[in-house]
Amino acid sequence: MVGPLEQAILALMIFVIMLGMGASLTPRDFILALKRPYGLMIGVISQYGFMPLIGFILATTLPVSDPIKIGILIMACMPGGTTSNIFAYFSKGNLALSVLMTVTSTVFGVVLIPIVLVLYAGALDLDIPRENIIATLVLLLVPVAIGMVLRKFNANVGAVTEFMGSMLAIFFILFLIVSWIPRNWEFLLTTTWATYFGSIVLGLFGFALGYGFSTLLRLHPRNARTIALETGIQNGPLAIAIIAFTFSGLEAQAVMAVPVLYSLFIVITSTMLTLWFRRINTANEQPLPNGLL
Amino acid sequence: MLDQERPWTAFYGPSVRKSIEAPQYRTIGDFVSATAAAFGDLPAFTTCLPNGMNGTLSFKQADEMSDALAVYLREIAGLKAGDRVAIQVPNCLGYPIAAMAVFKAGCVLVNINPLYTPEEMAKQFADSEPSAIVIVDMFADKLVEAMQGHPIPNVIVTRVAEFLPAMPRMIVGAVQKYWDKTITPITMPHIRLPDAIKAGRAKHESLHNALVEYRSSIGPDDVACLQYTGGTTGVSKGAMLTHANILMNMEQTMELIQNLEKGKEVALTALPLYHIFAFTVNFLGFYSIGARNILIPNPRPLSNLKRAFENYKITWMSGVNTLFNGLNGEVWFQDTPPKYLKFASAGGMALQGVVAERWEKVTGKPVLEGYGLTESSPVLTFNPFGKTRLNSIGVPVPSTELRCVDDDGADVALGEAGELIARGPQIMKGYWNKPEETAKTIQNGWLLTGDIGVMDADGYFRIVDRKKDMILVSGFNVYPNEIEDIIAAHPGVEEVAVIGVPDGASGEAVKAFVVKRDATLSKDAIRAYCKEHLTAYKVPKSVEFRDELPKSNVGKILRKDLRAEQTEMKAGA
Repeated sequence: MVGPLEQAILALMIFVIMLGMGASLTPRDFILALKRPYGLMIGVISQYGFMPLIGFILATTLPVSDPIKIGILIMACMPGGTTSNIFAYFSKGNLALSVLMTVTSTVFGVVLIPIVLVLYAGALDLDIPRENIIATLVLLLVPVAIGMVLRKFNANVGAVTEFMGSMLAIFFILFLIVSWIPRNWEFLLTTTWATYFGSIVLGLFGFALGYGFSTLLRLHPRNARTIALETGIQNGPLAIAIIAFTFSGLEAQAVMAVPVLYSLFIVITSTMLTLWFRRINTANEQPLPNGLL
Repeated sequence: MLDQERPWTAFYGPSVRKSIEAPQYRTIGDFVSATAAAFGDLPAFTTCLPNGMNGTLSFKQADEMSDALAVYLREIAGLKAGDRVAIQVPNCLGYPIAAMAVFKAGCVLVNINPLYTPEEMAKQFADSEPSAIVIVDMFADKLVEAMQGHPIPNVIVTRVAEFLPAMPRMIVGAVQKYWDKTITPITMPHIRLPDAIKAGRAKHESLHNALVEYRSSIGPDDVACLQYTGGTTGVSKGAMLTHANILMNMEQTMELIQNLEKGKEVALTALPLYHIFAFTVNFLGFYSIGARNILIPNPRPLSNLKRAFENYKITWMSGVNTLFNGLNGEVWFQDTPPKYLKFASAGGMALQGVVAERWEKVTGKPVLEGYGLTESSPVLTFNPFGKTRLNSIGVPVPSTELRCVDDDGADVALGEAGELIARGPQIMKGYWNKPEETAKTIQNGWLLTGDIGVMDADGYFRIVDRKKDMILVSGFNVYPNEIEDIIAAHPGVEEVAVIGVPDGASGEAVKAFVVKRDATLSKDAIRAYCKEHLTAYKVPKSVEFRDELPKSNVGKILRKDLRAEQTEMKAGA
């Protein structure tokens, strides 16, 4: 589906983007997010409490085949993906919280994913590819750390890196959408509406629940936006890897339909959500009277 | 004046001089060069953009560049001592270079608000008749229209990202041009600031004593700045501030702003440098102690200040009530208040007690309020460090006399309200080309402030009201006459009166009372019309339609009655 060269290019792009994201952060941002761990806790609860439940409800109520049910469940149990950090950045969210949430949910995932899957899918025996989890963490944390160091070392280098990273991120998002559709055209035409529905709605429910839950607990809008994106955006590539490790042949291909569809639509829905969040953010900016400022 | 008549001197710190005989330097140009020699390679000015991109000039670099630009102005642009040079530039590295060059060339600086409309610019050009202008590229398109009355022969164009390293400069330029679309092509003949500096530098090499000659051709009592202000009548007037006025006021103010270390301070300059408070205190005052000035081109929205607070160890900042109030309300600011801040200074408009208290709660550091007028370069009073009093403008700065007098000019009893009048070395020479206005404002050597104040037994002052009809919107003087003239010109308007009404955020807001001629005229139409002709801060925040306006028996519209009505309404509500 994705060749090794393409995978390497994607990894490199993510690396550069995360370098830019890192350059927008300071250690203080992380300290602050850790000082008030509600956001983080709510994030983990949303991620492994709500999302699998939504997945379970979707899988049991939608008229879909068994492999698709499994696909939805696996997708729902995934930790946050790196793309969530990019969208958190663009939506003027709390990037440090987003990064911490991705890290926490990924680390916790090693233990929680099997538990949750067993809970909802009974005897489903899955292989969790640890190397993929480690790769996710490395690809996230190493460039972020380097980016922060760059900024500390020279604010201009940091700002230019951030600018380049964000430009690349926009390109990356467009690239994902544009390159994905022609490659999977046939697949798009043969997929049933219920599979579409399950794959798309999973992310949308994630956004809504993450946002609603954190707003209910009176988190700052900036953190609520971050948790919404973090909850809704799952680590699609990890789901694909898990499926590839666990299943084989036609079954693997059928199960994989969900993460593949999900990955496409989550980029589209996140983009729309981000544009909306940006508008809210601008509207909520403190009005300053015209005058000496 | 005897000490017992100046009780406030008891509140000066132990190291504060009670009076300052004369400025340390003859001219601002002398001061700039001598200070640069003392602080050499230390950073003097830094532009910090919202995304953290930045550029810095050291004392030495800024000195050398302004030398070169001064030579350009005199030798290549052909200006003479005393010629006016307009500067219409937001806070960025081009500003200090241009301002210092004007002083070194022996010319007179005319500060112009970059956001002025062509109409407003034209008025200021016509009155000050500048021979050159340094303008930022974003607003240069307004020149064509603004120069119709008085053409300015020399146009020097700078940009916000001037003197930033190449990469950030290119990025900022590209974003401004292609994304924000704030830069339009400049149609008139002009030279770029770096090119003017280069040309001046080349010329300077062959003229060794040029700068000394320019400087010796002027003295401390020559005009350094024409600083425009409206005064009571609404007619825009240029306050003639001399080199001695400004140098003295800088020293007087820095004398009271204590606890600073030479060569170690980092000042945040979010207030525009064209405003006299930021000009004298931030720009010159902090330059004098070798501080690094972080220049913020545009503090709106306030998140634009976040990177500056994160990337620099800000030890001092100045602001107006609006800025402090705004920062108090920003979550990121509450989360990470500036760690190295020693204190902040407020001026330009009344600092509200609640804002000052909240600021101290958020940052743990006090904000000290001062008071002054454009006509006094501007500082007359400041709260001494460690002896701050809430809702007080503090005590007069050294060598300044301040009294509260009644309408006959006699001192009122202690604790009674009277018009504040001031005398000191910072009081302007007069208004440019307006001797009658000068005579009305300066009487027997005393500047009539038009503000009603009260002095307590310790010599702390408090402002209770303003005598003038002037409206103070967030630190800016707004003159009802000017706005009334514009609104009255609208074909659908029969009559209009403009007053200031209390407004939480900006202190005061402009309110217009309109009697319609055209029944279909809407409030929005009036505001839109004002927006076309006036800078945003002058546009009425609210418009109210009336069947008639209160008038005196000679037919003069009584603004004070409207004001009283508004106050009653507020009290009744």
